Amino acid sequence: MTPSSVLLNLALSFAGLSALCLAMDRHHRAIFHGAPSRKRARALRWTGWCGIAVSFAAAVITADWNFGPVQWLGSLTGAALMLVGLVSYRPGWVRPAAVLALPLAAVAAFLA
Amino acid sequence: MRQGFRQSMAWLHTWAGLVTGWVMFCVFVTGTATYYRTDISLWMRPELRAAAVEPGLAAERGAAYLKAHAPKAVSWFVSVPQEDRPLIGVYWLDSFEAPIQQATLDAETGQPTTARATHGGDFLYRFHYELQMMPMLGRWIVGASAIILLVALVSGIVTHRRIFSDFFTFRRDRSAQRGWLDAHNVTGVLALPFHLMITYTGIVTIAFTLMPWGIASAYKGDEMRFYVEAGQSPAWRTAAGRPAEALPLAPLVDRARAEVSEPLEMVIVNNPGDAASTVVAVFEEPKGLAHRHPQIAFEAVSGAVVARLGTLKPAAHVFTSFLGLHEAHFAGPALRGLFFLCGLLGSATIATGLVLWSVARAPKPGIAPGFGLRLVRGLNLGTILGLPIGVAAFFLANRLLPVALEARATWEGGAFFAAWGLAALAGFAWPHSRTWREMGSVAGLMFLSVPLVSALTTDRGLDFVWFDLAMVAIAAGLGSGAWKLSRYEGARRTRVARNAQTLARA
Amino acid sequence: MPDETALRDPGRGLGWRVRALVAGRVVLATFGGYGVAALSTAFLALVLPMARSEAVATATLLSFAIMVGAVVWVFSARTLARAAFGLAVPGALLAGGLWLAMTLVDTVPPA
Repeated sequence: MTPSSVLLNLALSFAGLSALCLAMDRHHRAIFHGAPSRKRARALRWTGWCGIAVSFAAAVITADWNFGPVQWLGSLTGAALMLVGLVSYRPGWVRPAAVLALPLAAVAAFLA
Repeated sequence: MRQGFRQSMAWLHTWAGLVTGWVMFCVFVTGTATYYRTDISLWMRPELRAAAVEPGLAAERGAAYLKAHAPKAVSWFVSVPQEDRPLIGVYWLDSFEAPIQQATLDAETGQPTTARATHGGDFLYRFHYELQMMPMLGRWIVGASAIILLVALVSGIVTHRRIFSDFFTFRRDRSAQRGWLDAHNVTGVLALPFHLMITYTGIVTIAFTLMPWGIASAYKGDEMRFYVEAGQSPAWRTAAGRPAEALPLAPLVDRARAEVSEPLEMVIVNNPGDAASTVVAVFEEPKGLAHRHPQIAFEAVSGAVVARLGTLKPAAHVFTSFLGLHEAHFAGPALRGLFFLCGLLGSATIATGLVLWSVARAPKPGIAPGFGLRLVRGLNLGTILGLPIGVAAFFLANRLLPVALEARATWEGGAFFAAWGLAALAGFAWPHSRTWREMGSVAGLMFLSVPLVSALTTDRGLDFVWFDLAMVAIAAGLGSGAWKLSRYEGARRTRVARNAQTLARA
Repeated sequence: MPDETALRDPGRGLGWRVRALVAGRVVLATFGGYGVAALSTAFLALVLPMARSEAVATATLLSFAIMVGAVVWVFSARTLARAAFGLAVPGALLAGGLWLAMTLVDTVPPA
């Protein structure tokens, strides 16, 4: 439950949720000008769910079964809130932020 | 039938949410603040600095005070100083029916503290579940409102057709109603696990007040025996009726501390001065979700161990875990921040829902709003902005009231309710969107002034920098909300003007 | 059915009859829902096959979910009579079960 383990969770959840968000027509259109191809949407959806699953695993590994699930759910809420803020106010930042979240997660994982 | 079910749930969500919204908004806001109760308490007693006192010694100082001031009590409670609460708290019960009494002692001297009299963060904490009313009445109101909120949550989930496809959607550029609806949905859905958890576990914290019938049937109403059998409380030893000299507390406390690795939290003395007196050492919760305090009970006269409270059975473990999840004492700074954020989202969900109700029923221009709508608008304004104004006034009163004022802590509470009452009256007098903007600005300025007033009246420098930053952040949130409202108003006015021009040209 | 339309479209034509039916549902949900939850708590606390304190904790934890379920039922049933019937049957069964359990289960606390 160290701050770096929460940060790791937030970064992974953010990356995963961003992929899920971009897999949706409406948001993909707003960010990339055009709907995603079916293949691309499916790939994004898979990436998204994998990201969320990895985030869960990271939570359980760094904060054990007692607090891990709680921390995971909390990080999903926090990350989703940031994402909704970006999607509505700065849609152009979603992709760079999601890409940036991965090295951030790596640094946090190293510290956690 | 399926469609019919969803429609009746939509009706239920609307009305259950409306009737419970005002109380629950207050409960959510004060509860969210309570995640930082100890920080608020420290800020509100700026005279105190951390003091390292042996817990056993502190327990003896507290007991000495109680021996002098409450020798006939049935129970004494002495909470020993903690890092975040550098005071000795003494509490006593003159009889099982009597209300609990308390005093706050200086950790070094054991005399009543010279720090300013204040309820500190406990004021908001008690408001959170008792609304500062008579305890039982307040708990029933909060409990009933929480059950209605749970109904509103369940029916809201049924009603919301596109939970997943609208998960990330916040259309702020469409109509006002669409914007409020999206804000309500997004804040509700993103923290939905939290909302369900916090509401259910909150009801469970006062479960035996609301639903005493399990204890009534299985224990004939003997609640004490339930807690003993559940392993949450040592058995009560009846007083022998003759006095006897008890052992000094400190060695008993030290023996207990040698067995338990958690810090000591409190020492309880039951039947003090009696031959059958009991001393219970209560420790802080071990790392884990469950809210369970390890306890060791001694015979006060002989020093023999009477009971050791160990692990819990499964259902009791689930029950205490619910309490633990609600209070989140286990959460470190980062996770606590996430809980705080979720609490804010919960407050926002309720507030947007209340506003949405009135926006969706706004009459066409030129038609006067009916009584119901005016009532809801006034209550919305008086609650959603009135409560923050009350909290800001409470903090300001803590710094501005003279330290030596008689009944000072009560005056602080008075400032809270007076400011809130005034704001609510203003809300009823002028229930316009302009009042939202102006009251939002007032609330923002009040929060902004808290760190300034504090810097002028105390000499703690940057000790409370996090508290100050939080005040500035709240002020910024309220201020930007007010600014948004004024911009929105302006935009609408130009749009109306433009429409009029188009019409005139046609 | 008038009370059904009352739930579907409350803004229109709120005659006294419709208002009374809605009020009836509110009263039924409040007291009937609480009654069923209270009876089930008292009953389960006696009959759940676990230690007494465990049964009480489990029954009390469940009671609020039962109450919410009952309220949802009251507001989703097609008519008020149906809603009342749907609470009365489990309520009567629970009351009977509780009476049986109280006569059969020895609840005198061991000394």
